[in-house]
Amino acid sequence: MRIALFVTCLVDLMRPAVGFAALRLLEASGNEVVVPPGQTCCGQPAWSAGNRPLAEDLARQTIAELEAYDAVVVPSGSCAEQIRLTYPKLFADDPVWGPRAQALAARTRELSEFLAGQEPPLLPPGEFAGRVTYHDSCKGLRGLGIKAQPRALLGRVRGLSLTEMADCEECCGFGGAFAENYADISARIVDRKCESIAAAGADAVVGGDLGCLLNIEGRLRRRGDETTRVLHFAEVLAGEEPR
Amino acid sequence: MSVTRHNAAHSQAMSFTAQAAVKTRNPVLQKALQKAKPLFSGKRAKAIAALPDDGLEFEQLRDACAGIRDRVLGDLDVWLEIFEENARARGAEVLWARDGAEICDLVIDVARRHGVRKATKSKSMLSEEAHLNAALAAAGIEPVETDLGEYIIQLAGEAPSHIIAPAVHKTLAEVEALFAENHGRPQQPRTSDDIPALTREARGVLRQHFLSADMGISGANFLIAETGTAALVTNEGNGRMVTTLPRVHVVVTGIEKVVPTLEDFATLMRLLPRSATGQTISNYVSLLTGTRADDESEGPTKTVFILVDNGRADVVGSHYREILRCIRCGACMNHCPVYFSLGGHAYGWVYPGPMGSVLTPLYTGIENALDLPHASTGCRQCSNVCPVRIPLPELMHGLRQEQQRRGLRPWGERFGLRAWAWIAGRPRLYRALTRIAARYLNWLADGQGRIRIFGFAPGWTAARDLPVAGGRTFFEQYAARKRD
Repeated sequence: MRIALFVTCLVDLMRPAVGFAALRLLEASGNEVVVPPGQTCCGQPAWSAGNRPLAEDLARQTIAELEAYDAVVVPSGSCAEQIRLTYPKLFADDPVWGPRAQALAARTRELSEFLAGQEPPLLPPGEFAGRVTYHDSCKGLRGLGIKAQPRALLGRVRGLSLTEMADCEECCGFGGAFAENYADISARIVDRKCESIAAAGADAVVGGDLGCLLNIEGRLRRRGDETTRVLHFAEVLAGEEPR
Repeated sequence: MSVTRHNAAHSQAMSFTAQAAVKTRNPVLQKALQKAKPLFSGKRAKAIAALPDDGLEFEQLRDACAGIRDRVLGDLDVWLEIFEENARARGAEVLWARDGAEICDLVIDVARRHGVRKATKSKSMLSEEAHLNAALAAAGIEPVETDLGEYIIQLAGEAPSHIIAPAVHKTLAEVEALFAENHGRPQQPRTSDDIPALTREARGVLRQHFLSADMGISGANFLIAETGTAALVTNEGNGRMVTTLPRVHVVVTGIEKVVPTLEDFATLMRLLPRSATGQTISNYVSLLTGTRADDESEGPTKTVFILVDNGRADVVGSHYREILRCIRCGACMNHCPVYFSLGGHAYGWVYPGPMGSVLTPLYTGIENALDLPHASTGCRQCSNVCPVRIPLPELMHGLRQEQQRRGLRPWGERFGLRAWAWIAGRPRLYRALTRIAARYLNWLADGQGRIRIFGFAPGWTAARDLPVAGGRTFFEQYAARKRD
């Protein structure tokens, strides 16, 4: 199977390590993995702002770039949701792009969905010493139903114990431009998340969406928490980068 | 449009973001909200889980309830005519109000015709849309709120901050101080064990008002078309006092509240209390039909329905019709991270939370509430819990699109979005610019790889550090590896 990795613009710019971890995990699954060079952003920021024409432009570019592969894997529930649920809506009345959007949507998986869906799930022998707590990001959870998959994968990592925090399904307050435009509200929401994380007594908070993770990490550090690690599940599963 | 102007005139002068700055920093408010949050969501979750078939019945009920509401909204004029005919046949008068000003005129006119000096009220959000209490007082008629929460905020001179828990923003200490001042007694130290005593105190005061009022004003949770009935769903019993003791009963409610049959009402009642307070049924469910008959000993001798448009008719014919399914349970705000960071007053008009973020722009004018559809993280908890499956995030998104189409967004945002999309549409240019951006971010970062103050995202770094990577994008590193 030829798999396209859709890196996402946030991982590209803000934490490339997540992209390389995803790459290692997918290669370990025994598939041919390609990083299509013409990808940029799925267009969600434009869509979220309510600018449909711009969102459609970037959706067309993304569809054209990714549609030649057997599967598309995305290390973000939010971007995967944009491709899976929003693209078909954007082109619902378009006789050309409608079917192409639907075909791509049907082949697109969020990373934990894809890995957990493999029989048997092939993983490099990950190891993580410590207690982690998992934050369910909204789009992946309520849009794509991702809940059990990352937990199941983390459960296979040696030395890792999972402790659920209170209200793990509650939003962290990121919301894209929301975090910038409504900073006071966002800060209040992420404060509640930070309190839940602290109460869970975990060494690391793990999630599947970099936006949420940057928000949580940024607020934890600003509050003076220098020790709780904030990691994408791909980083935990793939372990340290081989040197 | 007169409706828009009238409603807009009542929206708050302070901007939403300014409100947010104040509310998120108010420790008393935050304490009250933190206390209420788990109660609301916990009680609802228990009630839903207790439905048969592990909550499967809940999903079926949601379909049924959404279907009932859609059926009404598809032929709203017809159902309203049927309601009007049946209500008149039972001796009620049915009047129609286009906007808040007309509500006030009609209520005051009824009051004058019947020599009313005092009106008791049970909870009505529509009377908030009309600022009815102020209008009554100006006309020399004393309005007395009798729902405990409404009574508290009437004493405080405030507006409700929640549609079913109007005083949820008030702490025990604030209520004690209000009661002491208004009931003419010295202030006492109170613990939460004293809540029943405070409630008894309010009841004692309100009892006198119930007995001396000439008119009762209520809302209606539903209007039942086949019988011309107003249905009231309450917990304190004040609704019954208001609607049966005075000579005159005035029902003020929105035209969208009609449902076809008693059977439909019964179906909706399976979800309303469960979604609102987590009760299987509320303490009181009153079905009020017509005036006191000759062989009856209780009830008003005059019943008036005031059925209000105030922007609703325009919404029926719009892309936003689904919002009119709303049965005012409050579940969307009870599960909203934004609502629980702010409380209801910051939303600027009568309705807070996700349903308010849709209704306020529609009823007061999209250009008058630009923030509300954007003041959402898109977490989808609201639509997840809505008993009538209102797609609240999609409706907010529709309003965002309309703001864009009408050019109502700030210039900087529109330009920035276009510039970003133009670059993102050119992958080679995008690669080059993100390489520079990655280096720039890395250069701004401190020794721990974090940016403390970032001019391009001042909101972000006002509250958070911005963790950055090592100065090279994924694609730059990936290309280098492929070359090796």
